[in-house]
Formats: sequence, C-alpha cells, structure tokens
Amino acid sequence: MTTLTRPRFATGAADHIVAAVPALWLVAFFLAPLGFTVVFSFGRNLFGGVELAFTFDNYRTALTGFNGTTLLRTIIFAASASALCLAAAYPVAYFLARHTQRRRALAVVLILVPYFSSFLIRIMALHMLMSRGGFAESVLNALYLHSGPLDVLDTQLAVFIGMVYAYLPIAIVPLFVVLDRIPKPLLEASRDLGASRFKTFVFVTLPLSRPGIATAVLLTAVPMLGEMVIPKLLGGSKGVLMGQAISSQFLQSQNYPLGAAMAVLVLLVIGVIVVLLARLTKGFAEVGQ
Amino acid sequence: MSALRFTPGRWGERTTNAALLLWYAAAVLFLFAPIFAAILYSFNLGVVNKQTATITGWTLKWFPAAWNDLSLRRSVEASLVVAFWSALISILIGSALGYAIVRHPSARIRAGLAGLTYVLLIVPESVIGISLLLFYGVTRIPLSTATLVAGITPMVIAVVALIVRARVLTLDRRVEEAAADLGSTRLKTLWFIVLPQLAPAIAAGGIMAYTFSFDNLVVSAFLTTPQINTLPVYLYGSLQYGPSPAVYAAASAVFVFTLAMLGVAGLIFRWTSRHTAAPLP
Repeated sequence: MTTLTRPRFATGAADHIVAAVPALWLVAFFLAPLGFTVVFSFGRNLFGGVELAFTFDNYRTALTGFNGTTLLRTIIFAASASALCLAAAYPVAYFLARHTQRRRALAVVLILVPYFSSFLIRIMALHMLMSRGGFAESVLNALYLHSGPLDVLDTQLAVFIGMVYAYLPIAIVPLFVVLDRIPKPLLEASRDLGASRFKTFVFVTLPLSRPGIATAVLLTAVPMLGEMVIPKLLGGSKGVLMGQAISSQFLQSQNYPLGAAMAVLVLLVIGVIVVLLARLTKGFAEVGQ
Repeated sequence: MSALRFTPGRWGERTTNAALLLWYAAAVLFLFAPIFAAILYSFNLGVVNKQTATITGWTLKWFPAAWNDLSLRRSVEASLVVAFWSALISILIGSALGYAIVRHPSARIRAGLAGLTYVLLIVPESVIGISLLLFYGVTRIPLSTATLVAGITPMVIAVVALIVRARVLTLDRRVEEAAADLGSTRLKTLWFIVLPQLAPAIAAGGIMAYTFSFDNLVVSAFLTTPQINTLPVYLYGSLQYGPSPAVYAAASAVFVFTLAMLGVAGLIFRWTSRHTAAPLP
C-alpha cells in the first residue's frame, strides 16, 4: 500500500471491541500471571507460602551451585540441540523448496503430520525404541554398528535425540518458506556471472535465508529452554534441565520464590536470544516474515 | 549444453540432488518411526500387563481393555471437553486479534497487539504453567475445567491469530471501504464482508486450535486436579510406574482419529478455497 490519503471510514465501536476483547483476555490469563511470577521472584520463602519482599536472595540461589549449573547446562543444551536441528532441517527445507513441484503439498504434509500427532505418544514411543531390547538396538546390531544391549536411555544423548526429533518439523517450516521465496532469476544470475553452485549457495542463498534461520532458532531454542517432558522421560535423573528444575520447585520443594526467580532468568535468556536474532536479521523487514 | 559431453558439474549436480532426496527421505522416516512404533506396540502382548521394549507376542486385547478402562475413558472425555471450549474461545478471540493486528485504526494499538502475540509464542509453556499455578493460588480461584481452559487458551489464541492475520493481509481493504461508502455500519461490514472472506483461515486455525488444546500437556500438568485429568496428563502420570500396552492402544486410536479429522479438515479447506472467490490482487 502506498501513502495515498484515503477517505477514512468511520471507526466505530466495533474496531475497539475487536481489539479490546483479546487484549483483556490475554492480560487476565497471560500477562497478569507472568506479573505474579516476577513479583514473587523477589519474595521470601515461607515453606509453602510467600512473604512479599524485595530481595535478590532467590536470584543468588538460582545462579549458584546446582541451580547455576543447571541453567548453564540448559543454555548449552538448547544452543547445541537447536544448531543440530537447524543443520538437519536445512537440507530438508532446501529439497522441499527447490526439488519438489507437483508433489510439493504431499512432501510438506509428510513433514507436518508427525508434528500434529500427539507429542507425548511420540516421546513415549521414542522411549520404547531406545530401550534395551527395543528396535534401535536390533537395527544397530544388525548393521554391526553396535553390539550387545543399547544403553542410550537415561543419558543426555537420549535427551538430545529427543529434542532434535521433537523440534525438527518446526525448524523445517520457516526455512522452507524463506528458501521458497528467493527469486529463481537471482540464482540464475549468480550462475551466469560464473559462480559455481556451491558459491551461489554460500553467497546468495544462505545470506538470503537469514530470516528463516532466525525464526527456526527462535522456534526451537526457546521452547527447548523450558522443555520439561523430554528430559524427564528420556533423560531420567541425568538430564535435568531448567523446565524440570522450575517445576520441581513448585510441585515438590514448594519453594515458589526460587522457582519464580529461575523462571524469570529463563525469560531473560530468551530476551537476549531475541535481541541477538534481531541483529542477525537487521535489514529484513521482520523476523519470521 | 551438449548432451553427449560428460561434465563434472552435471555429475556433481546429480549427486547433490540424490543426496538431498535421501536426506529428506531419512528425515521423514525418522519423524514417522515413533508413530509406527506406538501403533506396533499397542498390539504387543507385554509382560504381566506392562509394556515391554521386546515384542513378546501379538494381541488385539488391549483395544477393548483400553475402552473398558474407566479412568482412561474419563481422561479422554475430559480432554474432549477441554479441547472443545479451548478451541471455541481461541477461535473467537484469536480471529479478532488477527484482524485487529492488521486493521485497527491506531498504529500503536496494532504494534502492541502484534508484540503481545509474539511474546505469547516465545514464553515457554513451563513458565506459563507455574505462573498460572501462582496466579490461581494467590487469587484463590479453585482449579476447575474453566481455569484449565482459560490457562491453555493464550498460546492457542496466538496460533489462530497468526493464521488469520496472514489471511487478512491478503484481503483488499477497498472492499471494506466500499461497503462503508454504501452505508454499511462497521459491525455489518465485519459480519457480512470480512467474516466470509476469513472463513477458510478461521477453519484452519480452529482445527489447529483443537489439536493443540487436546494435546496440551505442560500447562495442563500444572492445572489438573484428580477430578479433571486430561488424556496427556493421565498418560504422563502412567509412565512413572510402567504403562500397560492399553495406554498405547488408546494413544494409537486417538492418533488415527486425529489424522482422520485433519484429513477431513484438509478436504473441507481445499473445497472452500476452491469455491470462494480469490482475493483481489
């Protein structure tokens, strides 16, 4: 749309209702609860209760010792699992964008169907596949890649596999959308000017897919930072990450202020990621566009 | 390009293409393997009513067993009720939000609503879960189906809003202005002009809303009570003490049902988008 001055039609009450109803609902059931978490993170623990205060003690506890290590491990875990997800997703997205024509819808649906089937069922089944005596063991033994019982369950590797598995489809989609939008003539021009296919990829396709990479990182790393189901089911006691640590402060230890402080720290890390990704896509209109 | 000459570039291109196809096939296989495994394991005999990683024999008995398991059935019923209300509320509010993000007269309000939607998508579910637990605890609102539905909706609303927003961006604003010029009130325009054009996006958003609500585990895990136990929470709990293969049978049945619903929805979506006028360029 250009900046032509157009006759403004009367903005009736309808416009305000359409904006106000969602805003009020989200303030009530999203922003207000988050606000409680922030306020409580400065409070004092009374074993099952909270005394409102302004103390940084919870943050000190959350950043030191076992909790600090968990936070650090979660960040490293999310960063590496997200990177691996991206590396695995990129060729898939590239294939979908460049090498499918007639069967494209089907090819995309095949990637999305698993994402729309129950998350828990898939993780449960992954658990069975990786167990001792499960299919992964049989297959690996049959291929002589491994011998004897498979001891991957309840290790950090299992959590890693689970994370990459769960977030692969959602990394593929934004990459596919961006790669699909890169104009073909641009690539032909690069080839005509003498660049090899490889060079065209590195200097034209890759830089132009930056918004897709940013969105893919956002959609994988951020939920990974709060993930609590995969570490619990596949990692056992070895894979405790922030999501699980926070939830256990609420459901087991009943130390609400500490749990709230840990949650706020996770939100701060996410804020940093968003700022960094915004830097990466500087010059593009919008992240995820 | 001469067809007879063997060029290394050509050969390289073929290998790359083959490698890409292979990678795609491997990804699809990887993504589907657990789903097939879940279905396979629901026919496994197991050992003393517990699921085992090794197939101990084939049986069909877990399907009637799952059907007759009262707590399992209650949890499916609870999930259906929660998903219905959550999807309904999310469709209404999410569509309004998606429209307002694009069309609200004030640029500041548009930006604010868009920002809120993006924030909704990046706050981890576990953080939302504990926040709601605190919130309901402090305000002394007893946990019920209603509090669970209200807790699930914000994330689902964001998904619906983004789908509807994408559709609103393709609509020609002049159609709405023409309606206004011809004497239509804003409310009438929304109902008779905008809503029909948004129908396919709202339908698609609604299906996603239902699927996500039905499948929600993390927020639900914090907000369920022994009286309102949804299927994912029930399954999650049963994993602590080694589930029976009946759990897998129920899960597989739900999966096949979801797939059938998505298929029907896809067909409806294709049919309606073919039978409604394409948006003006």
